[in-house]
Amino acid sequence: MDFQAMISLGAPLGLGMAAVGSAYGIGRAVGSAMEAMGRQPEAAAKIQTAMIIGAGFIEALTIYVFIAFFVAMGKVG
Amino acid sequence: MTSSMDISFIDRTLKTTGILALIVLAFGWLHYPFFDILAVFSGMIWGIINLYFLALLVRVAIRPEGPDKAAALGLMFIKFPMLYLAGYFLLKVTQFELAYLVIGFSSLFAVMILKVLGRVILGLDGNNKPNHNHHQQEAV
Repeated sequence: MDFQAMISLGAPLGLGMAAVGSAYGIGRAVGSAMEAMGRQPEAAAKIQTAMIIGAGFIEALTIYVFIAFFVAMGKVG
Repeated sequence: MTSSMDISFIDRTLKTTGILALIVLAFGWLHYPFFDILAVFSGMIWGIINLYFLALLVRVAIRPEGPDKAAALGLMFIKFPMLYLAGYFLLKVTQFELAYLVIGFSSLFAVMILKVLGRVILGLDGNNKPNHNHHQQEAV
């Protein structure tokens, strides 16, 4: 298997794995946030802030992978 | 002093990054190629709009009184197809270097980390410490 074929196979696979990982992370974060809000509704604002920051970082990670995917596919041509 | 790390923290981060973006655009092109600075600026603005809509989405969808479904759907429609499409077109602009777009997008998170670090170093969220003055006043 040559270099270009490896990138063609690995880049979409990596992007898919990153998407699955992010979806799992966001799902867990939202689930935990809902649970925490149900237990302590008065702390909802702080939980929402932590949730937004966490979701932002997870989303950023996926976007970096998406950009890396573009770079890798650019090398394939 | 500032309040604890409540929901306004996100708004303050967005404002700080917006001011930083304007400073980069105003002074950056004097020292660096214009399109590189424009790419950094575009990345920053895209990141600000993205986090703004993410914050709005979390506020209407994840709250104790239940989600506002109509507002959440509207925000999802703006954020996911339209904003991501705009991001895709930014990636496709040939004058913009990918690295500068990424630097601009990442600066929002750098601002966020520095703000949190500042709060930790200055001890602004250390509300678990006992208030000695208050105890002294009670004793008096």
